[in-house]
Amino acid sequence: MKLGYFKTGVAAAALVIGTAFATGALAQNLTIGVRAGPDSIDPHWSTLGSQAEALRHIFDTLVGVDENLQLQPALAVSWKPIDDTTWEFKLREGVKFHDGSELTAEDVKFSIERIPAVTGPMSMTIYTKRVKEAIVVDKYTLQVKTNGTAATLPNDFIRLFVVPKKIGMEARNDQFNSGAAAIGTGPFKFVSWEPKGDLVVERFDGYWGQRPAWAKVVRKEIPNDAARIAALKSGQVDLVNYVPATDYASMQKDKSVDTFIADSVYILNITPNVKETLPKKAKVDGKEIDQNPMRDLKVREAMDLAIDRKTLVRVVLEGLGKPANQLMPVTFFGASKALPEREYNLNKAKQMLAEAGYPKGFELDFACTNNRLPGDAAVCEAVAQMWSRAGLKINAQALNGTVFFPAQQKGEFSLWMSGWGTLTGEASYTYGSLVHTPDAELGLGAFNKSGYSNPEFDKLFQEGQKTLDDPKRRALFEKTTEISMNDRALIPTVILQTVWASKKDSVTFVPRVDQETLAHLITPKK
Amino acid sequence: MLGFLFQRVLQAAAVIVVMSVVVFIGVYAIGNPIDVMIDPAADQKLRAALIARYGLDQPLVVQYFYFAKNVLSGDLGESMVYRLPVMQLILSRFPATLELALSAMVIATVVGIPLGIWAGYRPDAMSSKVIMGLSVLGFSVPTFWVGLLLILAFAVEIGILPSGGRGTVGTLFGIPTSLATWDGIQHLILPALNLSLFKMGLLIRLTRAGMQEAMSADYVRFARAQGLGDGEVIFRHVLKNIAIPIVTVFGLEFGSTLAFAVVTETIFNWPGMGKLIIDSIITLDRPVMVAYLILVVFLFVVINLVVDLAYGQLDPRIRTRGAS
Repeated sequence: MKLGYFKTGVAAAALVIGTAFATGALAQNLTIGVRAGPDSIDPHWSTLGSQAEALRHIFDTLVGVDENLQLQPALAVSWKPIDDTTWEFKLREGVKFHDGSELTAEDVKFSIERIPAVTGPMSMTIYTKRVKEAIVVDKYTLQVKTNGTAATLPNDFIRLFVVPKKIGMEARNDQFNSGAAAIGTGPFKFVSWEPKGDLVVERFDGYWGQRPAWAKVVRKEIPNDAARIAALKSGQVDLVNYVPATDYASMQKDKSVDTFIADSVYILNITPNVKETLPKKAKVDGKEIDQNPMRDLKVREAMDLAIDRKTLVRVVLEGLGKPANQLMPVTFFGASKALPEREYNLNKAKQMLAEAGYPKGFELDFACTNNRLPGDAAVCEAVAQMWSRAGLKINAQALNGTVFFPAQQKGEFSLWMSGWGTLTGEASYTYGSLVHTPDAELGLGAFNKSGYSNPEFDKLFQEGQKTLDDPKRRALFEKTTEISMNDRALIPTVILQTVWASKKDSVTFVPRVDQETLAHLITPKK
Repeated sequence: MLGFLFQRVLQAAAVIVVMSVVVFIGVYAIGNPIDVMIDPAADQKLRAALIARYGLDQPLVVQYFYFAKNVLSGDLGESMVYRLPVMQLILSRFPATLELALSAMVIATVVGIPLGIWAGYRPDAMSSKVIMGLSVLGFSVPTFWVGLLLILAFAVEIGILPSGGRGTVGTLFGIPTSLATWDGIQHLILPALNLSLFKMGLLIRLTRAGMQEAMSADYVRFARAQGLGDGEVIFRHVLKNIAIPIVTVFGLEFGSTLAFAVVTETIFNWPGMGKLIIDSIITLDRPVMVAYLILVVFLFVVINLVVDLAYGQLDPRIRTRGAS
């Protein structure tokens, strides 16, 4: 009997110690299961989203963004244009690199100049191409001369990671991966990483911002959705990103996990090719026709009217989305609040098709990706079915991104859908690339493969790009948004939402539209 | 013997040349790797500059010529995604895959061959029928599904084994391996078991078929007439005679496990080569694809060579023929 009590006592003591140890460890360390990680520890190597996300733990950017991608001070505390082609940035004073040295304007200048020399195929020069010259005025002041007027330069610099000048131009990927050159000003210090493996970082006590809650953070790369969810449920990780819609549904009933949802910047957009001849001709009654029906705005409007966005969200995305009426979330700089919600009206769609001369509809191929964003292939197939109810025969073809993007670039599609995220939080990034008439000299319209060209849009857009006054530029971009959306240059369908999941009552954070999972913004739940 | 080796090396070289040409043409047919990798916000000038930088604007023949020239000087190139030498990239992940494949083969052999012998020795026993039934499941049920079930059962529900990843890596006889630590072994159990199931089923059926055929052969009857016990007949005579097809299949399976363990690696998040090659295919990272396939060809050649040498040990007739 006595022995029995003794045993129970030991077991209870062990349990108490065990629990104390477990919660102690939880309060100090955070293990995140992420779908994708960086390709390198060099912050200037690639513009890949998962790369920027991982490296934000180690490095800071010159300009920061909040969870809705609106600008906020980071290494620069303020910035202003001093003439049409010069921006001045005031740096935060007393910021320390992980090796103890102080951040100065020289380091920022070095970082801008380093990018063209070291960046890879996903070239970071897209964020520095407007820079003509960086001039150090004093220790904490940097002037940037631009090629022409660059109103959105601060938006470009939300991806300008700052590295110390002393690492030198020779430091490349291997020196960063080994940690020798991985010296930032960020909230965490680099510990170790290997390609497709774990990224381990530890808290930097000299960080200028809010002290992170975690002494050590491990970001485990688990690309397979099922494996990532299993890692959470078996307790191997504390938090996972990109929970698939089906798992999200079952997690609603699971008492051992918490879920977090946010709108993302990603919107699935349909692009109708409006060139005179289609790469693959449309058919009416099984016979090829020479003209391109989608050149007629009425046809594009009819196609838009036939899409039931609410059903797409509710049925196809299991509720994890919102109907979209333009290419960016409405809170972004240059998004139009005047645009109405898109209407769903099948009869009107049929009527407009008849007015346009296609009472019996037509037949077309419709290409989309199947592995880029959650639900991309499912939405594509559902839209094709919706069009068939309006009398169109649309053959949906969901393709792997590896096949889709080169074919899209070669202009092989008549009608296609792909995702787009406005990663800089303002309109010129998106509309300049997708809608503006292709113009290699101006560097605009690089991804406009539809042949859409509207001189009025182009004029207002270029004027907006040169307008330094924020309210005026905003008004110009709102106008261009309205023109292109009313023209159905692209037809937005749904805004995708992102889901995170954590162990019950373990952590709390504000989900971000750029889908980034940043350990220093995550805190233990009390 | 030397002539035999030389012949094998020539064969391997020919296969490598053909395969690298196929990969070049294949990637070229799909499209430009830059179009897959490029940031959507890039403009036309940047795209053209990048294509030129990686030599992708050159005619395919010229691209291949430069590739061949570099390979002959021992340089397989750098990954476009990681900017690391491709061999370094692949070989850094090779030990994890080798360890997983070896463990799976050991499990398959240690379990599969004895079960196969039993099923062939007592084909009508209830136990044999159960074994054969399970062996059918072993290679007909999809690996990824069994993998998910294993995770659900042992990691999520019972919670005694981790759901994925490679555990602590220790050193055993100077080689870094998971087998050196308990944590490492725990991480290895489920993926190795998952990967071994197909091979186990195959080995059971192969051994059983060989056993059944051999047990009715004349030499077995003579051995029995000699008064030898069943155990001695099986282990001294039968096993040697049925070993050749088993060793052949073992070799092929080992090669394909090393090269294509990708499904298991993905589900269990095992940091092996499989995941790397799938990603490089998705991003059209041509240098990695080519180097990986060269490595695979090389592995198969080596394994086949070992298998051929093993034949000689198992069957003296092959040895004498080979020598003459």
